[in-house]
Amino acid sequence: VAALVGAGSKDVIFTSGATEANNLAIKGAAKARAAEGADGAEGKRDHIVTVATEHKAVLDPIARLEKEGWRVTVLPVNGVGLVDMAALEAAISERTALVSVMAANNEIGVLQPIKDAAALAHAKGAWFHTDAVQAAGKVPFDVEQLDVDFASLSAHKVYGPKGVGALYVRSAFAKASADQRRLVAQIDGGGHERGLRSGTLNVPGIVGFGRAAELARAEMAAEAARVGALRDRLLAGLKAKTDGMRVNGAIHEATLVRLPGNLNVSFDGVDGEALLVSLDDVAVSSGAACTQAEPSHVLIALGLTKEQALASLRFGIGRGTTAPDVDAAAMKVSDVVARLRQMSPV
Amino acid sequence: MRYSEEVLSRVREPQRAGTLSGSDVGTGEVGTLDEGTVVRIQVRKVRDRIAEARFKVFGCSAAIASASLVAEWLEGAAIDEAGTLTPERVVQKLELAPERAYVARMAVEAGRKAIDDSNH
Repeated sequence: VAALVGAGSKDVIFTSGATEANNLAIKGAAKARAAEGADGAEGKRDHIVTVATEHKAVLDPIARLEKEGWRVTVLPVNGVGLVDMAALEAAISERTALVSVMAANNEIGVLQPIKDAAALAHAKGAWFHTDAVQAAGKVPFDVEQLDVDFASLSAHKVYGPKGVGALYVRSAFAKASADQRRLVAQIDGGGHERGLRSGTLNVPGIVGFGRAAELARAEMAAEAARVGALRDRLLAGLKAKTDGMRVNGAIHEATLVRLPGNLNVSFDGVDGEALLVSLDDVAVSSGAACTQAEPSHVLIALGLTKEQALASLRFGIGRGTTAPDVDAAAMKVSDVVARLRQMSPV
Repeated sequence: MRYSEEVLSRVREPQRAGTLSGSDVGTGEVGTLDEGTVVRIQVRKVRDRIAEARFKVFGCSAAIASASLVAEWLEGAAIDEAGTLTPERVVQKLELAPERAYVARMAVEAGRKAIDDSNH
């Protein structure tokens, strides 16, 4: 698992999943940094910076900290889902304790410039966390090269078992001796995982995670190329048969800006719910699975209207997807969109 | 949102979707795009019976199924029995959740407006 993200094996703390990893990083860092300058205003860090398109497993822990008195800045993104680096730089100050920016978005697949974001955080002495759940194993992601302090990972996103995840913790922030600069555990009792996450380890889950990470790492380059070609084939198929469609999030730039297996599109003039119900044999989701029926906060952050956000589909192309699958999906989606539009009186 | 088979089959293979034209056609339209649902029912009256009924709809699955059911019920019905069509019957037949009952009311109202229109 450590090798997947270029970390040392001692720097990976196993958790019950990425949600716990995000909670540990965010609340643990906040708790650690609250101690700094506690005896006076000098050096006090009481501010957290994040981005509007983050997963709820990042936004919700930060919202809780906000209720507890932390100052929080949630930065907007531009129309293609990228955080504005000038705005990020302006938001981070000497009072900023932690900056959390996701590596790859779970709905639109957009990759944020993590190395630059981490550098901006470190320039002001802030710690930097990234939710790397979607990026790790899909695109190159190296904690050393990107210079991140914490990175959340999930086993099942690399085809491993559910119920296991991990947090990469920069070794300097895990050392018991440097207690002033040490991440604070959110689960105590027994001192497992270098005292950062007590509790008996989920050994079968971790073994599965390890094997899945190994496979993902070995196959990443070839699989990214294959999946990326299928994603482009799907997009071309949809475009050929359907007008009034927009791609949500950056795609096909000079540098890699999106996960190869992600496509997220909106259709004008159709009801999103009827679209989903009609696509009984295509596995797509409207926004993130857990927030169905509410418009996606990610698509709203891109500037879509509620109706556009609801009439959006996210396609995930993965290890099991074939060319006939994407061709059938493009055909079915186009047919359903055409039928719904034809049925519309407006 | 869970739907009955009755709703799902009407959404996936809609019957009587379309338009009617001619001076003997009555049209009823209810709802606006801003509200998220627009139902249009059209009927062609031949003497005191509805010979043909068609629907168009923009909206959720329940709206599509309700409009299609109203069109189905109206087609072939005598004008004086068309009034017995109620939103409650649509809700019952489609097993709609209470929060979706409004689309059944819209579809029935569109049907009534279409019949009124064809009487003029």
